[in-house]
Parts: sequence; C-alpha cells; structure tokens
Amino acid sequence: MNGQKLTIEFNDRIVRLFMIAAIFWGAVGMLAGVFIAAQLNFHFLNFDTSWLTFGRLRPLHTNAVIFAFVGNMMFAGIYHSTQRLVKARLASDFLSNLHFWGWQLIIVAAAITLPLGFTRSKEYAELIWPINIAVAVVWVVFAINFFWTLAIRNEKTLYVAIWFYISTVITVAMLYIVNHLSIPTGLLHSYPVFGGVQDALVQWWYGHNAVAFFLTTPILGIMYYYLPKAAERPVYSYRLSVVHFWSLVFLYIWAGPHHLLHTALPHWLQSLGMLFSLMLWAPSWGGMLNGLLTLRGAWDKLRTDPVLKFFAAGVTFYGMATFEGPLLSIKSVNALSHYTDWTIGHVHGGALGWNGFMAAGLFYWLAPRLWNTKLYSIPAANMHFWLGTFGILLYVAAMWVSGPTQALMLSSTVESGTILKYPNFVETLNAIRPMMLFRVLGGGLFLAGWVVLAWNIWMTIRSGRPSNGVIEVHAEQTAPNLGMVATFVNPPVIYATLVVVFAMTWAFGGDFLSIASLVALVMTCLFAWIHLENSEATWGQWYDKLLANSFPFTVLVVIAVFAGGIVQIVPLVTVDRDSVVEDRIQVPYTPLELAGRDIYVREGCYNCHSQMIRPFVGEVLRYGDYSRLGESVYDHPHQWGSKRTGPDLAREGGRNSNAWHYRHMENPRSTSIGSNMPAYPWLLEHDADTASLPSKIRVQRLLGVPMEDMSPEEIQRRYDEQAASIADELRAADIYVAPEKEVVALIAYLQKLGLSKPVEPAVAQRSASPTP
Amino acid sequence: MISRLEFDPWQLLFPAIGFCLFAAVFICVVIRAGQMRRPSVDHLQNLPLEEESSRADSHVRTK
Repeated sequence: MNGQKLTIEFNDRIVRLFMIAAIFWGAVGMLAGVFIAAQLNFHFLNFDTSWLTFGRLRPLHTNAVIFAFVGNMMFAGIYHSTQRLVKARLASDFLSNLHFWGWQLIIVAAAITLPLGFTRSKEYAELIWPINIAVAVVWVVFAINFFWTLAIRNEKTLYVAIWFYISTVITVAMLYIVNHLSIPTGLLHSYPVFGGVQDALVQWWYGHNAVAFFLTTPILGIMYYYLPKAAERPVYSYRLSVVHFWSLVFLYIWAGPHHLLHTALPHWLQSLGMLFSLMLWAPSWGGMLNGLLTLRGAWDKLRTDPVLKFFAAGVTFYGMATFEGPLLSIKSVNALSHYTDWTIGHVHGGALGWNGFMAAGLFYWLAPRLWNTKLYSIPAANMHFWLGTFGILLYVAAMWVSGPTQALMLSSTVESGTILKYPNFVETLNAIRPMMLFRVLGGGLFLAGWVVLAWNIWMTIRSGRPSNGVIEVHAEQTAPNLGMVATFVNPPVIYATLVVVFAMTWAFGGDFLSIASLVALVMTCLFAWIHLENSEATWGQWYDKLLANSFPFTVLVVIAVFAGGIVQIVPLVTVDRDSVVEDRIQVPYTPLELAGRDIYVREGCYNCHSQMIRPFVGEVLRYGDYSRLGESVYDHPHQWGSKRTGPDLAREGGRNSNAWHYRHMENPRSTSIGSNMPAYPWLLEHDADTASLPSKIRVQRLLGVPMEDMSPEEIQRRYDEQAASIADELRAADIYVAPEKEVVALIAYLQKLGLSKPVEPAVAQRSASPTP
Repeated sequence: MISRLEFDPWQLLFPAIGFCLFAAVFICVVIRAGQMRRPSVDHLQNLPLEEESSRADSHVRTK
C-alpha cells in the first residue's frame, strides 16, 4: 500500500444538517430570550398561563441557546474540521445520523417538558432524568464516532483544534454525569443525590464548566481551524496555542466556586475559585491574541469579508468576556455584582458576542462550500454584523448600568448602617426598568440580525447544490498506534496520575496519610527524574509520542481536569454533612411542605428568587440573619439561586401571612405594587399531587433526609391535617379555598423557609442517623 | 457573622497548592512548546490550509 493514493470523500451531509439545525434552534432560543426579557418589563406577557411564565421559559431559553444552538453549531464545526484535519471520512455514517437525530429528539423533548414544568431546577441541567439518559447515550455515540475517526486517520499529527475537541468530549461527559446523578421518584421526576451545599458546589462546578467546555473549548478549536482558513494564513503562533490549551484545560475546572462567593460554601473553596478565575486571565488572553494576530497582514480583508468581520469581533468579545469573568470573581466585586443584571450582561457578552458571532462567521464560511456556490448576499451579511454588534452593545451596556444600580440601592443604608435606604425591593426594580427595556431592544436587534442570516443562508442553499469535500492522501501517512496497554501504562501518564493521587491524599488525608503522601509525592517526582535521566528518551519524545496518539493524550486531559474536580468535589461530598452545619440545622419538610416545594421547583421560582442571605449589612437588614450551611443541608436539590429579580426567600417563613401569600399568587400587584412577577391563578384551581408523595418521601429518606418513615395513609393524614389548618386560617381572612389546592401546599412551603433548630456541631454528628 | 468575615490563614494553603500545581504545569508546557522543532510547527500550523476539491452529494437526486 506504500505510496498509494487514496481518494476520500468527506461526510459533509451531516455537517449541513447540523448547520441548518443550529440556525433554526438559534432563532428559537433567541426568540425565547427576547420574549422572557419582555416579560420582565410587561408582566401581562405571561398571559396568566402556566407554560408561558418566565420561570418555565427561562430554562427553555438557556437550554435552547446552549445545547440546541451552540451544540448543533459545535457538532457542525467539529465534524467538518476534524475530517479535514485528520484526512479521513467520519468513521460511521450510521453513528453520525444517530447523533444528529438523537440530539434533535432531545431538543424537542426539552422544548415540550420544560414549559410543562418538568424540571430538576438546576441551571442548565433542568432536563428530567429520562432525557438525561438520552443525552448521555447520544454523547457516547458522538464520542465513539469522533474517536473512531481519529483512530482511522491518515494524518500522523493532531492539530491543536483536535485537542480542544477531545477535552470537550471527555470533560462534558464527566460533568454531565456527576451533576445529573439522581434517584427517580417516578417516570418524570427525580431528586438529585447531592443536597444543600454539596448540590450547590456540584451544580456550579458543572455550570461553570458547561461554559468552559461546551461554550468555549469547542469554539476555540473552531477558531484555530477556521480563522486561519478564512484569513488564508497560518495561526499566529502554534507554540502559543499549545500553551493556551494546556493552561486553559488545567485551570478552568477549578474556577466553579466563584459562582458561590460569600455564600455558605466553605471559604477555602471560595478562595480557590477566585484565585483560579484570576489566573484564567492569562490563557484566555493568550488565546484571544493568538486569534487576532492571525489576522496580521489581513486586516484589510475585514472591509470586504463578512466571515473575517464576524470572527474578529467574536474573538474580541471572547477577550472582553474572559476579562470580565475573572473581574467578577474578585470577592469584593462579586459582593456587588452577584444576583444582579451585571452577571446577565457578562453572560450575554460571551453568548452573543463569542458564540453567536463565531457561529455566524462559521456558517457564512461553510454554506457556500457545502453547497458549492457563493454567499447569496454580502451586504446582507454586513447588515447582520452591524445589527448584531449594536444589539450586543445595547444589551451589555444596559446590564452594566442596571446591575450595579440595583446592587447599590439594595445595599444602601442610612443612620450609620442601621436602616435600609430603600426598604421596598420593588423600588429598586422600578429603578432599572428602563435598562430592562433597552435589553429587549438589544436582544431584538441581535435576533433581527439572526433572521437576516437565516434568509441569506437559505438563499445561498437555493442557489447551489449539496457537495462534499474530496481529498487525496498517501496511504503511508497512517497514524501511529500505541496499543491499549501502552495507552495507560506509559511513563507520563503513570507519573502524572501518581502525582495527582498523592497530592490529593496529602491535602485531604489524616495526619499519617498526609505525611506519607507528601513523602510519596516527593519520591514520585524524584523517581520520574531519575527514570528520565537513565532512559534514552527525553521529555520531548515522551510528549510527542503522546500527542501523536489520541488515546494516551485523552488520558492526560482526563488527569488534568480530574485534578481540579477531585479537589473541590471529593472533600465536600464525602464529609459527614451533619458535622458542618455551622450552628443551625434544617427541620425536614412535612408531606404538605414537600409537595409545596416541588411546586416551587416546577414553577422555576429559583430563576428570580435566591435562598441564600450573604453576610452583608444590607442583606441581613433586608432579609434577616445570614444563611448557615445547615439550613439547606437537606434540600435536594438546593435552591440557593443565582439571580434576584425578586427578593431573597431564605427567611420568608412567618414574614407574611398565609392570606398575603394567597393574594400574592393570585395577583402579585395586589400585595406588591409595581411588581413584575407573573400571576399564578392555576395554583388556586389545580389539586396538588399527593399520589407521588410516598415515593418521594421514600427517596428523600434514601438520600439521608431524616423524614419519618410513614405509610401512604399516614402521609395523606398528615397532609390533610396541615392543609386543613392553612385553609381554616385563610377562611378567617375571607379567602375560601379547598385544602387540596396547590396554593395551600406552596404556602406551607414558603412559611417553612428559614425554620431551623439551633445545634452544636458535635451534637449534630451524634444525631446524624435518620429518625426511626 | 464575624466568623464568616474573619481571616483564616490555613485557607491560603489550598490556593497556594493550586497555584504551585498550575505553575509547574505551565512552566513545563512553555518549555516544551518552546522546544518544538520548526518543521513540526510548520507542518502543524499549515494543516488547516490544505486544499480540497468538491463533489456533488450522491445522496441528492438529480433532475
């Protein structure tokens, strides 16, 4: 076979399908975003309809943009560029098609279930457990297809874009599985295995790294392939791209705790998250500069080439977003920005500017080549660019004003810090309403630009014919193969694994284990050095050997991302949670309160209300004593939240009467003049689900929540008793409601919030076992 | 509230370990990247620029 030429026709049909899907779902996701932004200004747009409320549609917006829009765009870019970089057709047409149709089916399932209120209430991880399993299966299909293609490649070396794709495939799988570990209570409902602070940490370890490894690393791979392609010159510095990759992959996974600064999360984790976020500045800007400098000598093309225009702006927005991210992770800045629109502005700078513009550049570049024609209208693409740019700037600027404005008003005090200057939360909300309106306008402009893209691409498709790329390769370029054993048993992988393991046991082991691990760590480093000195190999040879073999390389990536994950997750999930409750422990829910909590989760209340009071004067004066670790220790899932469109509810119990809550749900404006909260009339009409309570309580007990072991009859009896008592109280206020209605259960839950019992940590340890 | 705000020196240990780990990885990668041979770098960075031809998709029926 040596010297023989092979002709390879790429599978570009699958690229075309993913691209069209990305354009369609992008429009859907953006439309949902503009709509819910408008709902924040005009509450009547909730139409008093359950499946159209902000709380249910906001997860639809985020999931559509992340997984449907960027997901499909990413798959299009990965499949197109990988085939060319490894000079091989995708390994299996069947797996490619299964991947595409499976992913679309998942998106459709999400689009149906989320508005219907089937949710896990964890941000960007809301989908219910049967869909989670489908996602895992389809992701495995993608991984097999991808790695199989690498295995049959006709190019010895792996370009850096492929490294970024490998890190995406591996890390997303790890993050997704850990954060979606749940125990089903029925066909459409489950409780996550983690609760309270553990759940919060796992959630934001996932949430942050979903941004890192779903929205960033694959797009960086796309940048490293398509930017040189569009500029018709190689990447500015390949060496810098190597440093960019390893630094980013190693650093990103540690930064998740910056989403929980000043909360009840242990301080060492907060400090870790802040420090690693700050260090992220370096690789992120290294990557941005590498991208922009690739355009050296080609800047004049920006005037005429819309593809380069989008790429240049996209990379610039990447630089802006990755500058702002670490800035917001500084604890003192975060004290102001967290829970406000500032974070929303930051996220959209990345999503619209980086993901949206890179997607546009990619599609304008791909469409003419995939249909063997020319782009239908360059002026229309230019118009899209300016609509999008103005849209993003308007959006982000509005949020930059809105966030700090509301934060400063909420924390303002008078009389030497003893009285709130703006005690009414709605007052601070009304102050930012003009900014919220500008956000709708900005988002609307970006959406309009996207519609122009859809039209332009559609006309391009109509003017051409689908065609596939073809190359000729020499058969002797076949990639080297280390074999399965050597994949894992080779010096760099073994030494790296041992270093990580000993570092972990040194940091978290007991007295003896820590000392032994430290000695072992030093010995490992020493032995690695001696091994290297006495072998004929050099570090460079070891390294190069791995780079040419995708599987050992993948193992090294896994070690890099595992290190950060293990340091954060393991100590917190293995600790006896009842021993770290600070001075209070949560009182478990009654059957009625648990039913009410599930309604709270179903309606997506966490999208606007936090349950975490930070230790600041303004917050303590407004919401009550700061939140303790133990006060949410039995919450599966946690409800700490990430945004305060409405006030914090951690100590809502007893603050308002049952009648107030009833009227508030019926019409929020009747109790809070100027509120933008939707009305929830169906809660007054629908009966609560009590049939599933025995199963739910059984799972809660299984998860270690000290709820009593009750028969279904006992559960129903206690439920009825408490519900009747609330209905009686409401009747005294001239409100006539049947005890079985959902609103009664929700009121019971809201009145429970903040109820805890004082406890000494030592006592808590002894009482850790569930009540018989 | 004071316990939340006061400074615990031992908490610096973890960021310090993390920083040392990253610094070690970073220095190794920078050295390795700097030692990459010129022909290897040239080959890799030109991979995206290789040309291809196109062929009509055989799945699409012609009129």
